[in-house]
Amino acid sequence: MEDVRSYVGAPGGRGVAEDARLLSAYTITATVWLLITTAAGLLVSFKYSYADLLQAPWLSFGRLRAIHTNGTFYGWASVALVGCALYVAARSSGVSIARPRLAWAALWSFNLAVLIGTLTLDAGWSNGSQEYREWIWPAAALFLLAVALSGIVVVSTVAARVGPDIYVANWYTIGGFVFTFILGVTAAIPSYQRGLGQVAVQAFYMHNAVGMWFTFLALGVTYYALPKLLNRPIYSYALGVLGFWTNLVFYPVIGAHHYEFSPLPWWFQTLAIVFSVGMLVPVWAGSGNFALTLRGRWSAVRRSYALPFLVVGIVYYFVGSTQGTVEAFRSLQAIWHLTNFTVGHSHATMYGFVTFIAWGGIYALLPRATAKEPPPLWVGIHFWLAAVGVTVYVVLLSVAGTEQGLTWANGDPFIASVEAAAPYWLGRAVSGTMMFLAHVVFAYNVYRMTLAPAPALVPRPAGGRAA
Amino acid sequence: MNRPGMNDVRVLVASAAGIYLCLALAMGVFPGRVLSATPPGPGVVPLGEAAARGRDLYVGEGCSYCHTQQVRPLQQDRIWGRPSTRGDYAYATPQLLGTERTGPDLSNVGARQPSAVWHLIHLYQPRALVHASIMPAYPWLYDVKDRAEPGDVTVAVPAGYAPAGKVVVASRGAQDLVAYLQELKQAPLPAPAP
Repeated sequence: MEDVRSYVGAPGGRGVAEDARLLSAYTITATVWLLITTAAGLLVSFKYSYADLLQAPWLSFGRLRAIHTNGTFYGWASVALVGCALYVAARSSGVSIARPRLAWAALWSFNLAVLIGTLTLDAGWSNGSQEYREWIWPAAALFLLAVALSGIVVVSTVAARVGPDIYVANWYTIGGFVFTFILGVTAAIPSYQRGLGQVAVQAFYMHNAVGMWFTFLALGVTYYALPKLLNRPIYSYALGVLGFWTNLVFYPVIGAHHYEFSPLPWWFQTLAIVFSVGMLVPVWAGSGNFALTLRGRWSAVRRSYALPFLVVGIVYYFVGSTQGTVEAFRSLQAIWHLTNFTVGHSHATMYGFVTFIAWGGIYALLPRATAKEPPPLWVGIHFWLAAVGVTVYVVLLSVAGTEQGLTWANGDPFIASVEAAAPYWLGRAVSGTMMFLAHVVFAYNVYRMTLAPAPALVPRPAGGRAA
Repeated sequence: MNRPGMNDVRVLVASAAGIYLCLALAMGVFPGRVLSATPPGPGVVPLGEAAARGRDLYVGEGCSYCHTQQVRPLQQDRIWGRPSTRGDYAYATPQLLGTERTGPDLSNVGARQPSAVWHLIHLYQPRALVHASIMPAYPWLYDVKDRAEPGDVTVAVPAGYAPAGKVVVASRGAQDLVAYLQELKQAPLPAPAP
């Protein structure tokens, strides 16, 4: 086995420059997918109000929806957070990213997977409309290969660390890679996925893809970036470790709450609801830990452009995940299940939490890596468009979902639920437009942090006001 | 933290993998195995050839993102049929229970709306039949011709929605999809023993 310690580089040395190139490349490709797949999502949102808009097979609702969900999950959030995870592993271990060639290979594999998955979905080739695993198997296999390769890089980097302790951020990211590889293999084998059996596996998969991958990677970045930007240690390591183990044990059991009142065994659904309540432990441990780390340092949030993103992410982690627990109760699922309330919830968590943490991580790490700062005004515009956009989005769809569920419970004709939700859908398209504009601004900021020419003078240390 | 074992990255990876592997087997693979062996309910039969092709189209076009195929044991679901049972899904792979009901549930649509004429018009332009519908139209499943040829399945699209002076002919895909929708019927449950 290659000695990974040979990658240890002095600060500013060749290894650190390569780290910056890797972080830049991961961020740039993730941003391209963010633009493409949220453009798809935006078009889909307008089709709710203008159903005959842009009629073509490859622009149809059923194909673009899958492109939007898979693309934002695997092209944007995964690639962005893996880029941060690699960089965090190196910085928190006092070394450079180990096995950089594997890290580059993983990046190619990620992007090839998203490209194949997106194009084949657009051609109508779906792996059975199973949410978040619609890609045909070659795309899924390439994604899993990328997870394995980048996971090896993170583990090798942490193994080469200078100090004796594995920083808690790396617990989360290493966990995320290990779980997701096992999850991906479990979800790919077809022999136990016939009829209702596939419903059970789908319940397991769809929630674990969120909770054992994105949650772990996002928490990993937060455990590094938040104390770094505040220049103070995390409030409690013990809470971080408690969150790690309880998330690991509780999360895999809750998937069946996506199929409440279905023919899945009743006790299986009940078990999922009970463990959904258990999820309050890791969620409150994690968000409480972050809040206590922030306590008394709100002035730093005002002066930083990266911290506000992390704060929004932490708030949505708390709100969105607690909402998930409450939403799992049967009395509320009877009204909210199958409505747009679920879509509001998924954007509170995948956007309000995961995407804001990814942005916070990128704004915290990338300017330090490349010594190129984004223009603070444009970061502010990005922040407010995205934060207001997603909040309006979540509120509107939560109200729309409640109205849908109430018209059903009221025994109205079905079309009444469509008519009741219609005004909120139009509002959602407007808030979605704000979110998409935020992504365009973010793409410009990424350009300024990476490909744009370096400033002529060397004014001040990288990181600047965020430090 | 004084836990030397967990500071060995191999121990961290192995313990995380071991615990999660057990949970994946218990919560994913095991329920999948048991439920995959569910026998078909009384009267539940495999789809015909055309309907099976139609189902593939239904999957590829993502119909299940808006149409559920599960009737819950709730008062508000009684309009969709009887509550779904495990045996209903014995031949339904990939499963299409769905997680959103933006449009009606289709578990029993073949009984509720048996007319092929209605479905063919509805797929060509849903708003020709249901004004407030937001379902996508699927005009690319149809051919628009000057006049029908022998063997063509023409679609009587209402005036205002049909191309002027032309006839709308259903492709094989449209016919397959309608065959599938017509076969989506809940098998009646046997009466409970007295």
